Amino acid sequence: MKSRVDLLLLITLLSAFVAWCSSPPAWAADGVATVAQALRPPGAFADDEGPSPVVFPEQALPLRFNHQKHVKQLGVSCTTCHDAAKTSQKAADSLLPPATRCDGCHGTNHRNLAAVTTDEARPLGQCAFCHSGYDPARPNIVARVFVPKPNLRFNHQKHVVGARMSCARCHGKVEELTLATRDQLPRMRECVTCHELGSSDAGRSKTAALGAGKRRKPSGACPTCHLTEANGLLTTTFSSGKMLPPPWLNDAGHGSDFLQRHKRVAGDDSKFCASCHQERFCVGCHDGNVRPRQIHPNDFLSQHPMAARQNNPRCVSCHQQQSFCLTCHQRAGVAMSGPVGNFANRGRFHPPKSIWTDGARGPAHHAWEAQRNLNACVSCHQERDCATCHATRSVGGMGPNLGGVGQGVNPHPPGFGSRCQQALRQNARPCLTCHLQSDPELLKCR
Amino acid sequence: MRAWASNLWLLGAVVGALSLGVAKPARAYETEIDASLTAQYYALSSPWGDPQLRVRRYTETLGLAVWNIQGQDDPRGPRLSFQSRLRLDADFGQSSAERALRSPSYTPGLEQAPLDLMYAYLEGQRYLNGYLGFRLGRQYVFDTLGFWSFDGGLVTLSTPLNLVFEAYAGFEQRGGGIPYFGTRRFESQGVYRGDRYGYDAAYYPLFLDESRLAPAAGVAVEGSALGFIHTRLSYRKVINRDRVNISPFRDLGDGQYFLSGDRTSSERIGYSLRADSPRIGALNGSVVYDFYNQIFSEYAASANAYLSSRFTVGASFERYTPTFDGDSIFNWFSHSPTTSALGRADARFSRRFSATLSGGVRWFETQGDPSSYLEQPDASKTTRLYDLSLDAGARYDYGAGSFALRGGGETGQRGHRLGGDVTGRRRFSARYDGLCTLSLWDWSDGLRHDRDATSFGYVLGGGLTPGPSFFMRSRLGVELEHQMNRLVGQRFRAMLTLDLTVLK
Repeated sequence: MKSRVDLLLLITLLSAFVAWCSSPPAWAADGVATVAQALRPPGAFADDEGPSPVVFPEQALPLRFNHQKHVKQLGVSCTTCHDAAKTSQKAADSLLPPATRCDGCHGTNHRNLAAVTTDEARPLGQCAFCHSGYDPARPNIVARVFVPKPNLRFNHQKHVVGARMSCARCHGKVEELTLATRDQLPRMRECVTCHELGSSDAGRSKTAALGAGKRRKPSGACPTCHLTEANGLLTTTFSSGKMLPPPWLNDAGHGSDFLQRHKRVAGDDSKFCASCHQERFCVGCHDGNVRPRQIHPNDFLSQHPMAARQNNPRCVSCHQQQSFCLTCHQRAGVAMSGPVGNFANRGRFHPPKSIWTDGARGPAHHAWEAQRNLNACVSCHQERDCATCHATRSVGGMGPNLGGVGQGVNPHPPGFGSRCQQALRQNARPCLTCHLQSDPELLKCR
Repeated sequence: MRAWASNLWLLGAVVGALSLGVAKPARAYETEIDASLTAQYYALSSPWGDPQLRVRRYTETLGLAVWNIQGQDDPRGPRLSFQSRLRLDADFGQSSAERALRSPSYTPGLEQAPLDLMYAYLEGQRYLNGYLGFRLGRQYVFDTLGFWSFDGGLVTLSTPLNLVFEAYAGFEQRGGGIPYFGTRRFESQGVYRGDRYGYDAAYYPLFLDESRLAPAAGVAVEGSALGFIHTRLSYRKVINRDRVNISPFRDLGDGQYFLSGDRTSSERIGYSLRADSPRIGALNGSVVYDFYNQIFSEYAASANAYLSSRFTVGASFERYTPTFDGDSIFNWFSHSPTTSALGRADARFSRRFSATLSGGVRWFETQGDPSSYLEQPDASKTTRLYDLSLDAGARYDYGAGSFALRGGGETGQRGHRLGGDVTGRRRFSARYDGLCTLSLWDWSDGLRHDRDATSFGYVLGGGLTPGPSFFMRSRLGVELEHQMNRLVGQRFRAMLTLDLTVLK
């Protein structure tokens, strides 16, 4: 009964969380996004805050305008006013209609912007009808419309004329709106429904042919739309901010935990990373000799033994244990082998010998440590430290064949017997380090 | 002393030559030169107080890149470029005795100011109508098999089926006595090789001689399908060719044994797959098979769901078994994998405020139960030892700066580690910026309670960015770090960074 209650509680909590996630965003109340989701551009998340302000910097549109009235009631088509959309080949082109386009119906004359004339008899011919904030006491002065150029490459002509795409495909149902804001600008999530993402290889733009006689899919390569530097990498830093991949793009959202997750993304498709990053960015950590603060927390020097024991696989992605770790451990006198001068005044690093090595296998015996996380051992120990007891030969070793005090415990993992033959064939060194060539145990693997 | 002085001379000569090069009139190609200098000063000591290491590190890199060597840039046409980076990594805090053969403090392989060529390659892209690409020189390969470097050639062939074939061959980048500027970073784990010139056979027998290049070759097939699947299959083999010591106790009078001939250093195949839909989520999976150890050394899977533009949730599973260079006996001590199962949630509450939380369980396996093995020694029974882990990160950006929190913890049978850093950054003008970090960490070591500690620390820093008319993307920064815990008392670390970039 109790488990059912728990289950119900869990389901309720999950439902509440999902509902919260899909609820309208809090910022809608601030008037930033007041457009119904159905009217927004395809690809817009219900809770997104408009298109990227880095790609489409903030605009100032101190205008009153009613698209619905113009399009639906007056039957004006989009390209009647935005006619440049049919010819524009650059994203930097302004597709806003010139003010003179309004003159025919509104009875104004914008040909000389320094001396605009109006039709005072008609309300729709007055400045304040369109220019919000217009002060009649300061005639002919209106707030400036500011639409910064987007940080993109875009060819309207190719899309509107070439691909015969409707305006709504990228801009949503503008005909249902009054003023169309930044929120009606396209979302990349919709772009990639045609621009096929996939291999990031440089040659793929030439290889996306669907077949003879069929139209090619447009390239999903990043530089198709994004600006690039002279070195071919994407431009990511703009005055409007730093461009980062959205969470849904190749699972590469650069959130706070991307440092831990990026291995999967880069391991599968490093060329995707190379769209923005030069190698010097990667090697700053992976082949770096300066501690990266974003990886290692403060005072990592003091706490690194604990971190290494708990999660050593992470260490080896940047550090070679026997050169990077061991060298420092030898210099500091921590390692078992190393400069003899560094052993003076040295205490014991591990638990007492009687517990750690010589005694029977209690909970604090080194065998468990070696089994649970061998990498941690290898960052301090060289193979002779193990061979001292585990080798079956070697004059200096203490293996049972030499009358030594080794426990005679076979260090090999289960199933080793079935693997040793091939291993011996490929590289005999590890075998011969511990076994004489005539060792019967070794002969089993021949 | 003479070694690092000659390295500095060499670096200076290269800088001079490059400066002369970029002073010439602009061409169709673009040149980028950047230099970075990081100076660090701090001290650390062994857990018993002595020896104390004074660190006086100067790490200097110098990069040269030439883009569009082919002439006018055509986004769809062939493209030829050259990229290189030199690094001088000096530690003037080292004692000369640490590098003097036969000194009681001698540490094998230690160099005061090693100079290495991090990468230097000529790259061609989109040749033969976009189908052919190549790289020639010292270069990196990133894939499921890891982050790796070699000297040689790489060819990629793109096909109309959205398949890309890649093949490469050359020599693994290694350090040691090979007469070229390399580091040991990319060698397989478990062995330490280097220049044994001046050593007799019994002196540090486990510092293995490295005098011959290690041939390496690999192939990969990368493909995409249906617009939402991307995969990569990679295979790589590296060969050891040096005559190698096999007597770890030679200094104790053991006989001298050497093994000669080609043998496997590593041979692995890896496969990764990513399937993602911008409207649903993403699936990732990878697996690595180690031919020498004959085990699947790594496999992992993760799934993420895009609940909305602001929220992503996911889960991941990873299993990792340590493997080592074929020359290392540690391969045959490697028993059990480390397995992690984690959940994550990523929330972007607004354009300014985002947070991530991930947590889960990590387990280790042992042959026998450590807690009862003494009474019931049964090695056939596999026992799991669990750790819990939690990571949290958050960031708030405001007009002139940001606040970031990064914290977390791990706890289990072997102790715990718990804490976090809070960092504030602020830009005071177009030129000046500042940084302040406060941190609090607590840890306990289940095996060595004398090493338990709580640490408090802070970092204060600042930077100066010269105007773009002087150097592009350049910055001079200073940081002072102060840490306090009962193990080290007070530890200070001072850091100076200088980054310069020139574009021509």
